[in-house]
Amino acid sequence: MTTRRWKKSVALFAAAGLLVAACGGDDDADTPDSEDTAEPTADEGGDTDEGSEPSDDDGDGDGDGDVEAGQEATGDVDTEVTEESVDEGVDRYGGSIAVGLEAEAVGLRPWEDSCSAPCYNIMVTLYDKLIEQDVNGEYRGYLAESFSSNDDFTVWTVNLRPGVTFHNGTELTAQTIADMFPIQQEGATASSQIGASNLASVEATGDLEVTYTLSSGNSAFPAFLARASLGMPFDPAAAAADIDGYSTNPIGTGPFMIETRDLDNETTVVRYDGYWGVDPEGNQLPYLDSISFRPIPDEQARLDALLSGTVDAIQSLRQGTIRDARAARDGGAEIDLLEFQGNNVGGGMFNMAVAPFDDIRVRRGLTQMNSQEKVIEALGGTGISLPGTQWFSPDSPWWSQAAADAWPTFDFEAGVATLQGYIDDPDRSDGKAAGEPIDVELSCPPDPTLIAAMQVLEQTWAGSGMVNVELTSFDQQTHINNALGAENGFIGTHGAHCWRWSDQDDPSLSLNPALAPYSAEVAEAAGLPGVVSPLNFANYWNPEAFQAAQQAITTGDFDERFALYEQINLAIAEDVPVWYSGHTATMLATSSDIAGLNGWHLPNGDLGIGFPGAEGRWVEVFVAG
Amino acid sequence: MRKVIISRLLRLAATLLAVTFLTFSLTSLLPGDPVNVILGVDSNQDPELVQKIRDDLGLDDPFIVRYGNWLWDAVVHFDLGESYVNRGQSVSGTIMDRIPVTGQLAFMAIIMAVLMAVPIGVLGAYRQGKWQDTVSSAGVQVALSIPNFIMGIFFIWLFAVQLQWLPSSNWNRISDKGLIENLKTAIMPAAALAMTQMAIFSRLVRADMVATLQENYILAAKAKGLNDRFILIRHALRPSSLSLMTIVGINFGALLGGTVVIETLFAVPGLGFRLINAINQRDILVIQGITVFVAAVYVIINTVVDLLYAVIDPRIRKG
Repeated sequence: MTTRRWKKSVALFAAAGLLVAACGGDDDADTPDSEDTAEPTADEGGDTDEGSEPSDDDGDGDGDGDVEAGQEATGDVDTEVTEESVDEGVDRYGGSIAVGLEAEAVGLRPWEDSCSAPCYNIMVTLYDKLIEQDVNGEYRGYLAESFSSNDDFTVWTVNLRPGVTFHNGTELTAQTIADMFPIQQEGATASSQIGASNLASVEATGDLEVTYTLSSGNSAFPAFLARASLGMPFDPAAAAADIDGYSTNPIGTGPFMIETRDLDNETTVVRYDGYWGVDPEGNQLPYLDSISFRPIPDEQARLDALLSGTVDAIQSLRQGTIRDARAARDGGAEIDLLEFQGNNVGGGMFNMAVAPFDDIRVRRGLTQMNSQEKVIEALGGTGISLPGTQWFSPDSPWWSQAAADAWPTFDFEAGVATLQGYIDDPDRSDGKAAGEPIDVELSCPPDPTLIAAMQVLEQTWAGSGMVNVELTSFDQQTHINNALGAENGFIGTHGAHCWRWSDQDDPSLSLNPALAPYSAEVAEAAGLPGVVSPLNFANYWNPEAFQAAQQAITTGDFDERFALYEQINLAIAEDVPVWYSGHTATMLATSSDIAGLNGWHLPNGDLGIGFPGAEGRWVEVFVAG
Repeated sequence: MRKVIISRLLRLAATLLAVTFLTFSLTSLLPGDPVNVILGVDSNQDPELVQKIRDDLGLDDPFIVRYGNWLWDAVVHFDLGESYVNRGQSVSGTIMDRIPVTGQLAFMAIIMAVLMAVPIGVLGAYRQGKWQDTVSSAGVQVALSIPNFIMGIFFIWLFAVQLQWLPSSNWNRISDKGLIENLKTAIMPAAALAMTQMAIFSRLVRADMVATLQENYILAAKAKGLNDRFILIRHALRPSSLSLMTIVGINFGALLGGTVVIETLFAVPGLGFRLINAINQRDILVIQGITVFVAAVYVIINTVVDLLYAVIDPRIRKG
């Protein structure tokens, strides 16, 4: 790969939609490639198949906070995505429901507005995606009837489904997609995805055939068409006519149309009678007459809203809420829980560009002193969240036994011994005298459970007598900005910093920007001038890991990619730029008369991915009671 | 009287100027770049695009220039700018949308508080030292000690989850769903806000009434054989209401800006809920606009109360 090519791909990936889940879980899963590529993926039961080869042996046997490789616990904590069995006599049509979301959607323009889990719940009612993921996490056509690439993944051809119309009656054609591109290039979120995906041009090469040309190969390109920014078609003429107004008056091809948008209170969508989709029996979709989405930011208030019948469904990304919802259900409340735990993993990162975190003994020692079990308990996730050892969860096809074995799991005495080496070093990087404790600023957003978890870490680290811990807390935006460090060349002002990583998307989307050079100096020294990733928040530079990440998007071969991602996770386990607590558990909870949220279908009748990261698909939901 | 009015209005203008300057200064000190808010931290960090946005918004101008421009637009054009996050939405439009909601909550809370506080305060004063006084004082103390969001959580648990009489959250607009449905969503947050106010008001009423009941004209009324209820309501309550009126006015202003927690808990789309979202999103112009608006309302109400004082009490306007 030429320097220029590296520069382009990395710089663009650096702008990718990472934020590495600092703001919450993201969504969908897995493997790249064309429609016919059968990638090994998680099966319905939550097991993994070839590629990750999990076993029941956790490798170190201490059983103290580390993931027991391949254990069935993931199957235990996740709700299985299945075909729903419903009495024949039930009339699925009609009815209105209210859904409580954890936050308001900033805007409803896929090319412009940042969108996380609560927002996606609304967006998927208004817009369809070109590509969706099936129950196994494989990318499949949705609005796209089919898609394929050339051999080097630089040209992707998408054939659109015929007979699809927007809510204003305009037909979706290949030219629509091509006309969207200039607007997407100007869009805050879409422009970054265009860069990250290497997308150079979009052409209508037939009435329904769209050709995407990339500046360099990207085998993970379908993952970009499964997200809002590039994957949700909008009416370009209507958008150009009123860019700002589109946020309150969005026009998509989705099963529902906007009725009212009362910001911070209620967004109501109503059935789109011209919707193209049908269920596996050929019945017209959607079933519901309308859905109202209401932001209820307080976790307990949102659960209470469900229990009181104020809303019919809620979403949550908090383990404590899942715990409370389980308790309510077990106590007799008539609710159903759809739980999901994917690749998104919490914990923290060390700012490797500053002392003392520039020394592996400090990072490893502190990580060894991290009792994941106790941290998860403080988060309210005991029995809900699995401890993390890598970027991926045990039911992910990318999960690696070798990486799990390599991860420095909780061993307090070993941690003390490792850290002692640094403390006693007369040339230690923080400039303190040998024998003095290190200073650690441990920072987390002011969420009660996060603070509780950090207090566990604080007590453990300070309990060694070798660490002065200062706990700090800033609101989410400041927390992110402290790590971003736009003012100091993206080095950041953080020390040990709460964070989350990874998601159900293709691994490249989150890993590539996290592994690229974090400063101009590093890039220069590595022979990659200009390749700087602001999203390498830990300021972690490992040339081999970076190269592996780059190589992984040049191939569609799963085994080859698996080996590369395993290599990356082994490097992370070796260099410890981050520490892990547990995988992020998420939940959609509904009153028990709501059905159809679990087993929704792709146009070909296969089951869809379900409800990753508390992102529901509401097209087949109906009131059964 | 004219001198008093002019003096108060000048003081009002100076206070508002100071409030805007302080608010502008404080929001300027907030960490984080508004450009990150606009682009999203995970979005395109292209330097040219970043600089274009900075230029468009005048973010590189000196502080005093930005303040001057903002003040000029605010004062001359009543334009508080545009939301960085919800593009195309004016700050003044946002405030106008939210005032009815927060205003209704504050108004209902004050009315409920006064309706509860006056009888409790009067009873406490009338039965001073008796068991009725002890019980009401203890109740008031409890209401004063419990933060309003705890009260809100309790109300949700009782009236929404257990009894299922009321919806636990969100807001039914009168224009969409009628008054009854609106009141169903307003009553719990308003009651939660009212409890603390009630406690403050009733203590005030009690203290004033105790003093008033010692006055000679009250003793004279009693000596004439007038019944207690008549004396309490006609002769004692009115002069004891001056402090109550003051504090009601001030607290109404404070409530307009003090409903953040309750609005967030009940997901009520008022000024407070918008403010907290704006803070979380670093939507600086919205933070600025709402803060200045609330402060302005507060000082204006204070000024009006001051002027009313002068109307009611001749000693003040002469002084």
